[in-house]
Amino acid sequence: MSLRPVLLRLPRYFGVSGPPRRRWWWSRSLDLTSRRGQSSRSPVHWNQVVSEAEKIVGYPTSFMSLRCLLSDELSNVAMQVRKLVGTQHPLLKTVRGFVHDTRHNLQLRGLVVLLISKAAGPSRMNASCQDYDVVSGIYSCQRSLAEITELIHTALLVHRGIVDLSELQSSDGPLKDMQFGNKIAILSGDFLLANACNGLALLQNNKVVELIASALKDLVQGVYQENSTSGKENHITEHIGISTWKEHTFLTDGALLAKSCQAAMELAKHDTEVQDMAFQYGKHMAISHKINSDLQPFIKEKTSDSMTFNLNSAPVVLHQEFLGRDLWIKQIGEAQEKGRLNYAKLRETIKAGKGVTSAIDLCRYHGNKALAALESFPPSEARSALENIVFAVTRFS
Amino acid sequence: HPHKPDAQGGTCVWSSFAVDRGPGMTILSIYIPYFNLVKNLTSAFPNVHSISQFHQKAPAVCCCSKAQSGQKYADPFKLGWRDLKGLYEDIRKELFISTTDLKEMAEYYFDGKGKALRPIIVVLMARACNIHYNNSRDMQASQRSVALVAEMIHTASLVHDDVIDDASSRRGKHTANKLWGEKKAVLAGDLILSAASMLLARIGNIAVTTILSQVIEDLVRGEFLQLGSKENENERIAHYLEKTFNKTASLIANSCKAVSVLGCPDPVVHEIAYQYGKNVGIAFQLIDDVLDFTSCSDQMGKPTSADLKLGLATGPVLFACQQFPEMNAMIMRRFSLPGDVDRARQYVSESDGVQQTTYLAQQYCHEAVRQISKLRPSPERDALIQLSEIVLTRDK
Repeated sequence: MSLRPVLLRLPRYFGVSGPPRRRWWWSRSLDLTSRRGQSSRSPVHWNQVVSEAEKIVGYPTSFMSLRCLLSDELSNVAMQVRKLVGTQHPLLKTVRGFVHDTRHNLQLRGLVVLLISKAAGPSRMNASCQDYDVVSGIYSCQRSLAEITELIHTALLVHRGIVDLSELQSSDGPLKDMQFGNKIAILSGDFLLANACNGLALLQNNKVVELIASALKDLVQGVYQENSTSGKENHITEHIGISTWKEHTFLTDGALLAKSCQAAMELAKHDTEVQDMAFQYGKHMAISHKINSDLQPFIKEKTSDSMTFNLNSAPVVLHQEFLGRDLWIKQIGEAQEKGRLNYAKLRETIKAGKGVTSAIDLCRYHGNKALAALESFPPSEARSALENIVFAVTRFS
Repeated sequence: HPHKPDAQGGTCVWSSFAVDRGPGMTILSIYIPYFNLVKNLTSAFPNVHSISQFHQKAPAVCCCSKAQSGQKYADPFKLGWRDLKGLYEDIRKELFISTTDLKEMAEYYFDGKGKALRPIIVVLMARACNIHYNNSRDMQASQRSVALVAEMIHTASLVHDDVIDDASSRRGKHTANKLWGEKKAVLAGDLILSAASMLLARIGNIAVTTILSQVIEDLVRGEFLQLGSKENENERIAHYLEKTFNKTASLIANSCKAVSVLGCPDPVVHEIAYQYGKNVGIAFQLIDDVLDFTSCSDQMGKPTSADLKLGLATGPVLFACQQFPEMNAMIMRRFSLPGDVDRARQYVSESDGVQQTTYLAQQYCHEAVRQISKLRPSPERDALIQLSEIVLTRDK
């Protein structure tokens, strides 16, 4: 059964032109030979790092499992989402993000889980794992787990896009469209979560189920909190200090990857020290990745004036910490014109302060912690790929 | 399957649906003359008006009990609640998180005012299976945990359903989505689901984890089935029963099965438990659909004709359509034109749609009783038998 035609059709379902970025997804002629001694020119460009890493794990991480893609429910969803084309419902944007390449590589989590599985090597407790399939040094249950991680991330991404009907404005379009969009968003998210739960059950390991379920619990809390504290354009945000920011970010970004990495180790029956190192790598790598994406509006050469940024992002929170609340409120006031926030002006103000540089430092701090966690893994190309991911994420020049 | 022979050769208003769909689900094929139908129903339940209410605190006086073991009659709810004391407190403990308002939202429905039908069935089944297997009247902690997991999964799906249906009230109070908004309500549902999964994993039995994870998938599938519709009349009833299985019966069937797996190793018993749960679950939903037409809103805790207003064609409507084909167009457009809901209600009241649905529910109950009667007699087994009758005769 060829998957390629299905994948190529996806963008058209969602009203997006063009095929998915990686045309060679299902190419059978992938070069699977390992690349020794290529560390002399370690790639730090993001796309390059990712594509090298994908070769190491044997095939690119897929968008969704085959079972998902071939289900009736998904074609139902696709059909329903098409009805949303032309409306303002956020689900449409979320879905378009799946088929367009973005810097926030949606497959990153899955890829990291696969890499760390490979880096940790085979189970030392041979008896329990000898029946497992192994492809490119990774057990099939670990591959499954990588997929499940992506499913959970995607499910919450979809659920984040649900709209509060009581807060709609006329610019959002007809109520009916938003209600319908919400309905489809809830069902699609639930569909993905249900697949994740079933996938977890199939792993036949209750410790892993508990671990990943707790990661879901963390993620839900994180999304809930970001929902509560996100400032609307004209409102001043609640003051959150950097330690609160760190807690939030662990919930929204760190927990899922950290616990999935740990779970991958558990599946191969690695001991608790290895599990803990995997957890640490996942956690710190995810946090530094988040800081990196928070920094983008402040370090890009050309930013359009209308580009907004999150007032609860790392550089802004740090900027606040240095200034103190009162001065920050004053600066926001100065950046307001006719009741609307002038993001370009505020951006310059922040860049002039210490927020950006300290965010870069924080990013590198977490990056170093991630690298430190990797030291306990034996050297291998998988480990190098994980290191390269950290280098790419902490590179700001 | 029990048949009612057609002695008087009257006109048949039931079609035969001998379709096998899904996991061993056969839709019954029944022929019955119309004018015998009502007579049979009332003779089966002579005191139908004196049955006390479903949700109540005093012991029920049910006139159609079949206490086969000869033991003293007991209210199945009272019997079940002995094991479920602290059910809601324990569920709330599972929802313990640092984000206080999310915790409050998640706890909102676990206030002790729900029917708790599913946990009751689960604990009764647990004891019935344990007694059957080794005469042990003890219930394992893991079996009680299944009751919690079942109630949590059920509630999580209710929270999402309320957002999808834009419902304003449930169990006599405002829905979470109306109080806190859609976005937060959806997240609260997700939280409950994650807590349920964690508890499920801690039970530590792989078969049980697999069985109950299947339920989550079935619940979603049921919602999707509800989104779609079938052109062909005969297909519609099969589609409706499949949706009913997925949305309602699967949870009950699989929690019964899970609890029997924990209590005894015999697969025959697991199948009995599953079949009981499945048949009672379908009957329960069919009666729920009937009550949407026959009861008025202050008894139910939620407004009635809710299904029609959501565009859903349930049992009474589907059977009424066989007598009044003009309903077809309304069904296909999901009662979206003004006046459709009232006209549909009118047709249903003029038809025997309600009676036919009730009769079908009765058949499922009989099957449930037939299955559970294979277990060794015990107060719990008899309570389960009674419960299936209560399911039929409730009025809210």
